Amino acid sequence: MSSVLPASLPAEVRPAPRRFAIDYRWFAVAFVVLSGIYVGYRMYQQAYGMTVGLASTEPEFQTYWMTLFWTQLPILFGIAIAVQLYLIATRDRDIENVAPDVELKRYFSFTMWLVVYTFTFYWTGSFFAEGDGNWHQTVLRDTPITPSHIVLFYACIPIYLLFGVGSFVYAMTRIPAFCRGISLMHVFAVVGPFLILPNLGYNEWGHAYWLTEEIFSHPLHWGFVVLGWNALALAGVLMQIISRMRELLPIVFKAETTA
Amino acid sequence: MTTETLESDRRRAAAPRPPGRVDPVIAAAGLTPAAARVSRVFDILVVIAVVLLFTGAIHLHTMLLAGDWDMFTDWKDRQYWPLIMPVVLVMFPAALQAVFWTYFRLPIGATVAATCLMLGVAITRPVQFMVWTDYPLNLVLPAQMIASALVLDVILMVFRNALFTAIFGGFAFAFIFYPANYIIFAPYYVPVAHQGMIASVADMIGYVFPRSATPEYIRIIERGTLRTFGDSVSWVSALFSGFICIFMHYLWWKLGIVMSSMRFLPNNTKVMAMMGAKAPAAPVVAEPAATPEAAR
Repeated sequence: MSSVLPASLPAEVRPAPRRFAIDYRWFAVAFVVLSGIYVGYRMYQQAYGMTVGLASTEPEFQTYWMTLFWTQLPILFGIAIAVQLYLIATRDRDIENVAPDVELKRYFSFTMWLVVYTFTFYWTGSFFAEGDGNWHQTVLRDTPITPSHIVLFYACIPIYLLFGVGSFVYAMTRIPAFCRGISLMHVFAVVGPFLILPNLGYNEWGHAYWLTEEIFSHPLHWGFVVLGWNALALAGVLMQIISRMRELLPIVFKAETTA
Repeated sequence: MTTETLESDRRRAAAPRPPGRVDPVIAAAGLTPAAARVSRVFDILVVIAVVLLFTGAIHLHTMLLAGDWDMFTDWKDRQYWPLIMPVVLVMFPAALQAVFWTYFRLPIGATVAATCLMLGVAITRPVQFMVWTDYPLNLVLPAQMIASALVLDVILMVFRNALFTAIFGGFAFAFIFYPANYIIFAPYYVPVAHQGMIASVADMIGYVFPRSATPEYIRIIERGTLRTFGDSVSWVSALFSGFICIFMHYLWWKLGIVMSSMRFLPNNTKVMAMMGAKAPAAPVVAEPAATPEAAR
């Protein structure tokens, strides 16, 4: 998969370096598709939240909300697993000999994975999380699978898992430094937000057994906060990328200028 | 640079460069113009990532630690609100200051954090609180920390030191929070007579708008004799908050340094082989070349 530029060959028989170009197609597709998904979910909440989402024992709740819940779970987790398997199956089997220009392109692709990951993190941590807050401060919960939870926990989190874990697998299968060593901060940045999903067990357990009232700063919610702090570790990953790109840029563009 | 204005910089940047003369920034970076252009693309990607990530992370952090004090106007009392909000809000700005200052010498971390939070709440308060659950915007106005953050960044720029920034900046961040927000919330503190009792306008909004899943009792917040000092309660709270923010700022500065570490742990050789590395394990990259000194 990697293209190799053998340095030992004489200059006249070495292939001319390709012009460096960054491919944004999948990046743009991801933004457009994800925006559509998130806006679609919000419109669905607007249409069916207050009308058929208030009581979980009503038949309409089963029709409109539980159908969505049981449909989205296998689809989203299935896509997430399929993407990881694809990344592993198409890995670079000669990762030690990646040419500098290819490596630089892969760093750009890796950065785009991270940007899309942050996009999904915004929708989860800010947009739909506060939507969950105002819903539960308004509507008494009679089920852990409420209209706001179905979107926040069982749609948004699988989506960001796809891109968080995907960025990790991409880096490990295509970028030499991230294959040789495990980026500690990348682990934090992916595993911390990932653990929000199992932490949901603690949250729902607490809501089921204690009448906490819906005070949003209640200690029952602090697990989410500590795990969310791990997002800060993405700064470390970006620093690792910057560190290597500082070395790669002069090498790649010197070759291009020479050609 | 110290004696030049931004305007003169802008004029110089806009003026055509004489042929053969290289931009000093690019020359210092050792990049060709093509490499500099690619580097700028990367910068844009990083800016997008930073804004999206910290809008999500800081908003989540604030809503779950300060939650109701930020969400509802009638929770913005004069004892707990000026105490809790700055302590919660100073954390991420301190961490971002550490990253931006240590690696890039940019004194903008706190302002970036404040702006990201404002961006997040400016979207969700209307779209979620107003449009979905029909709250009046008057009841869900957020606080702002942009003034506090600007002061914090200026103090970092002046002192160029984490400890002094924590002591003076952390304190100022909390102390400025209340007066900087008072302009917005003063109308809601106006007293009104309600069924023979005195309440504030904010309280009245809370009384008449039912929040069926939140506490319905009237919050009695000032239990001690401090209330006999009248409006000094808010300043005492701000002072106390400033004291805590000094330590909180320093702690989160350190956390910012730790979380931006570039350390790689050695990978398992079998995993490496599975992932495509045929050569034996190369020495693990310890700390990268981009030390804070080199990155300056």
